Amino acid sequence: MASYRGPKGGSLKYCHIFKMAASITGLLKPWTPRVILVRWSRYNPYYLEPEIQREAYSVPDTELTTEEKQQRELKELRPIKAATSGITSSVFSDPVLSKFINMIMKGGDKVLAKNIMTDTLEHVKRKQVEKYHKAPQGKREDIECNPYTIFHQALDNCKPVIGLASIQKGGKFYQVPIPLTDNRRRFLAMKWIITECRENRHRRTHLYEKLSQELLAAFGKEGNVIKKKHELHKMAESNRAYAHYRWW
Amino acid sequence: MALQRVSFRLRQTVACARSIHTSGGRHLQEALAVEPERNPEPFSIFRTQESDPACQLENHVGQYYTLPPAHIQTVFPHGLPARFQLQMKTFNEGCVMVRPPALEVISYLKRADYSKPALRFLFYGVKGSGKTMSLCHTVHYCSTQGWLVVHIPDAHLWVKNCKELLPSSYNGSRFDQPLQATNWLRNFRVTNEQFLSKIQTRHRYVWTKREFTEEGRPLGELVDQGITRVKSSSDVVGAVIKELRLQSGQPGGCFRMAVAVDGLNALWGRSTIKKEDKSPVSIEELTLMHNLRKLVKNDWCGGAIITALSQTGSLYTPKTAYLPHVLLGEEGFDRMDPFVPVTVSNYSEKEFESCYLYYQDRQWLQHPQSRTEEGKKELVFMSNRNPSALERLCAFL
Repeated sequence: MASYRGPKGGSLKYCHIFKMAASITGLLKPWTPRVILVRWSRYNPYYLEPEIQREAYSVPDTELTTEEKQQRELKELRPIKAATSGITSSVFSDPVLSKFINMIMKGGDKVLAKNIMTDTLEHVKRKQVEKYHKAPQGKREDIECNPYTIFHQALDNCKPVIGLASIQKGGKFYQVPIPLTDNRRRFLAMKWIITECRENRHRRTHLYEKLSQELLAAFGKEGNVIKKKHELHKMAESNRAYAHYRWW
Repeated sequence: MALQRVSFRLRQTVACARSIHTSGGRHLQEALAVEPERNPEPFSIFRTQESDPACQLENHVGQYYTLPPAHIQTVFPHGLPARFQLQMKTFNEGCVMVRPPALEVISYLKRADYSKPALRFLFYGVKGSGKTMSLCHTVHYCSTQGWLVVHIPDAHLWVKNCKELLPSSYNGSRFDQPLQATNWLRNFRVTNEQFLSKIQTRHRYVWTKREFTEEGRPLGELVDQGITRVKSSSDVVGAVIKELRLQSGQPGGCFRMAVAVDGLNALWGRSTIKKEDKSPVSIEELTLMHNLRKLVKNDWCGGAIITALSQTGSLYTPKTAYLPHVLLGEEGFDRMDPFVPVTVSNYSEKEFESCYLYYQDRQWLQHPQSRTEEGKKELVFMSNRNPSALERLCAFL
């Protein structure tokens, strides 16, 4: 069964905000294309997303609703996009962790980034389990040994609630407090952790050691990244007066 | 509560457990009866109370026994694999799994005739299947039986990354490695403290113009000489080996010798050490290797030679090689012939279950999905039941 390819062999991701901004500033002329390339996805919108979860295939026909049955029939006819190599159907896969690994990655070396992350998780777990086994019976419940909960909790502790944007008004630039979307907050937390680990440690320590120290500190609400988040919050609090400069 | 879940999953092992209580379980019951003042530990399917390798039988296969901390410091100053040492530090205990290859070799050692030349055993298997751990289990047995253990933890370390290479004073064409020799002598002294005063030298050794060791001096003096005078330590190693080989089989001798060599294929391989004119040094030209080859030859009686192959640290061998004739080469195989080859394979289903339960008990499997059936199936698939692959997988889960 030959897979159908669109007329140009691909498709372009659309960006309506850019179109809006372009028309506002008068750049949108009749000959300007209405859709502008933003990301690298080259798929025709005719292609459907692949289904990764194994559980979706084990549901028998009787338990599906009419919409799900229609969706399944559509998938038999339409072409499906290829799954990226970063996602797995493994029960241990975690999308937040995958994003973090992608941010650690340099030069496309995913293998090295994944190894660094697994070493970090192992290092964190080793420290905590050693503490657990040496602790007396009463203190054992307080020690968190799961590196995944530590990672997620540390990331949550590092996420800023409010951000700053540089807005020009009357020739000067003001730092205006703005709300942040969830994705932006997660991105900022991850970026701060990685840059802090890369810059503020002795150059001979391994990245996994630096990351594990920082994650354990952030889990306990201490460390440089938490400090940076608090400073950002203080700046936003002190610049409250300029909040009305934001127009969205 | 772990016990109820266990009984659902491990029908086979429960059947074995029933046979434990009928035939071999009397050992367990006797052990429990002997020490009534201890708190009776809950019956766990993956642990055994029998920490003496001599008393471990087939019904203990798949179960973990605890190495007593005193034994770890004396018997294994340098023998255990690095990842196992990390695991011991994390779990605050050292537990070794009883597996068929080690039990087989221990049973041969129990029944061997020690007036005949030394028997040679060789552990071989794919990478990460447990050859070094089986060797350490056997060494623990020999140590608990009061034998003198000559344990070379990894022969590959002596043929690569040599920081100091001195021309030998004894034989001009050979080279000494003082640092490695001193290190080994120090660990040898820790392992065999009690024999150093009992064994006497039979020859006179002259080290320099003013230093010599007389006949009839205790072996401890020889070893101390090697540790303090670093320059002559390789020759001291050679002298110690010579003395032990001469005296082990004697009728009036007070000891049996166990020679344990890991990474045996280094003895007949190639080395990466270079001389000052950048030409490679052959194995024959290294004093330590030359003496080790003499030790592994079975021309002495009153002991056993237990060895293991290793591709991991070896030089100029392909990654997929694991069979004896491939790793030892023609010359090595001919020199080692005859020997008893012992296969070390990946975990069986029962051993895998036991390992899985042990990791759960030690709080090592933390990912919530790893405790489900799906997660366990994935672990089996990803590791192919290979012990070291499973250990590395579970490390980050």
